[in-house]
Amino acid sequence: MPAIEVHQLQKTFQSKRKAAGLGGSVRALFKPEYNSIEAVRRLSFQMEAGELLGFIGPNGAGKSTTIKMLTGILYPSEGEAKVLDFVPWKDRQKLAYHIGTVFGQRPQLWYHLPAVDTLILFGKIYEMDDRDVKLRISQLAEAFEIQDLLETPVRKLSLGQRMRCEVAASLLHRPKLLLLDEPSIGLDVVAKQHIRDAICRMAQEENVGVLLTSHDAGDLEALCKRVIIINHGQIVYEDKVSNLKRKYLTTKMVEVRYAEEVPAGFSINGVEILKVGHYGVKLRFNTTQTPVDSVMAHLSQAGEIVDITISDPPLEEVIAKIYQEAALTPVPSPAPQRTGAGGRRV
Amino acid sequence: MKEFKFLLAIWKANLQSVMEYRASFLLQVLGMMANNFIYFAIWIIFFNRFKEVRGWGIGDMYVTFGVLASAFGLVSLFFGNAFNLSDIISKGRLDYYLSMPRPVLLHTISSRMISSGMGDFTYGFISYALSGHFSPDGLARFILGTLLAATVFAAFLILVQSLAFWLGMMSNFTNLALNAMLSFGIYPITIFDNYAKFILFTIIPAAFMGAIPAEFVRSFSWQVLMELLIGAAVFLFMAVAVFRLGLKRYESGSAIQTEV
Repeated sequence: MPAIEVHQLQKTFQSKRKAAGLGGSVRALFKPEYNSIEAVRRLSFQMEAGELLGFIGPNGAGKSTTIKMLTGILYPSEGEAKVLDFVPWKDRQKLAYHIGTVFGQRPQLWYHLPAVDTLILFGKIYEMDDRDVKLRISQLAEAFEIQDLLETPVRKLSLGQRMRCEVAASLLHRPKLLLLDEPSIGLDVVAKQHIRDAICRMAQEENVGVLLTSHDAGDLEALCKRVIIINHGQIVYEDKVSNLKRKYLTTKMVEVRYAEEVPAGFSINGVEILKVGHYGVKLRFNTTQTPVDSVMAHLSQAGEIVDITISDPPLEEVIAKIYQEAALTPVPSPAPQRTGAGGRRV
Repeated sequence: MKEFKFLLAIWKANLQSVMEYRASFLLQVLGMMANNFIYFAIWIIFFNRFKEVRGWGIGDMYVTFGVLASAFGLVSLFFGNAFNLSDIISKGRLDYYLSMPRPVLLHTISSRMISSGMGDFTYGFISYALSGHFSPDGLARFILGTLLAATVFAAFLILVQSLAFWLGMMSNFTNLALNAMLSFGIYPITIFDNYAKFILFTIIPAAFMGAIPAEFVRSFSWQVLMELLIGAAVFLFMAVAVFRLGLKRYESGSAIQTEV
């Protein structure tokens, strides 16, 4: 049985339209005009039990709106969905016992209390046995390395520490499915890695399915086996992450720092030089056209290397490429019109 | 029973949360008691001068103010989020409560404790003790009257604030409604004509928060008790129904939230 089945799901919001300035405000007061905004458009997909699925797209693409419909927070305008065989907006309370949710921008831990107090409260909310709650807290504390943080008031934790506690809290009642909406937003590299490792370990050990929305390609690579990319509320790409990488992550960015000055007229065949400084160069090349070995050999010949960074292009570039192929031009700005991370609907 | 256990756990967490700031907690409790005393002093001066207003004396004022203050305090202490429900709705902060396996309305309004409510709650009992109507069975009626008045008050707050599902941000209007409820609740009901009384039993049900429970406290009457019970049941039913209806229109939001 699939963990999630979505068929032709649609969500339309009514948004008030107002001309600029005081005059516009007065006119809108007496004669309001509304726009219909389709945040999610005829979305259909499936997710198997225990699967790790990435759900990505730019601000306002409809990711958060979809997750909110799948948790029963929002009613859809049209369409059907089943999560663990429950219709979320009809069986919200029953479903909540079996899923865990983390909204990166909305803390669930009580701000003034130590995290352990919220975990105990969650134990009561999920009707768990007191002894089981204690056992589970110690398991999660070990998995997320939060033993020393549990008794500190949440307001005194760093964002990374808090997020580890947040994800741990969402797993307290042993959910079968974890819905993570931007869990790594605002975190530094180390904190992200901590969270990813812990989620990955728990998902494997307890066979928890994970549906993750993120802007970060690293989250996808570290956690997900399959990816769905959406834009304007529609799926524009759906495949395994390994296929996505093979197909689109063919460009590498390299930054090199030398012990001596970079030779004048520095260039390598088949490589785009982005920047040349006194002691460093930044370049980009396509691995299907120029072998990595040959680029590295040229770089070594140019001088003694003291530091080198090789990175994939940002996910945004990959998505932009996918949009181009799908002949869908991404609309950059009115992201705040929808429920994405970009801002509140107006 | 299941929901009561859950409520006890939430209230315990609320208490732990406010006790994190002990000095602030005590200051708010004492400050609110002083505030109530200063507010009530004007009525003491008034009734010193006029003795009675259409059969309503200072003793009646003590009881009425006592019930009103204790009911207000009770709602502040145990259902503190009823005061900013419209804000929670319009800023999309119901998401948290909707993702939990509990009744949304109950979970939402019980998730905040307003410390100053302890001052109001205590002051209400002191006011009753000073009224000259004190007796052991009167105290039992005071407690029951306060519980029913608190039910109507919480229901009224939920009703008004649930309009945010349709109208969006409306904290100014909800403040206005709250002030109307409290102001009309404390006035001697004998000064109002029948039209005004109709309003005080329906649109602004202040009579159920002040005059009627006060009448019940002063002397037992089945009729007044039934009025109170029916009033509480009707307003509670309407509040839950309107909230549930509005919930289907809930649009969430993505405003960054920094604390619960």
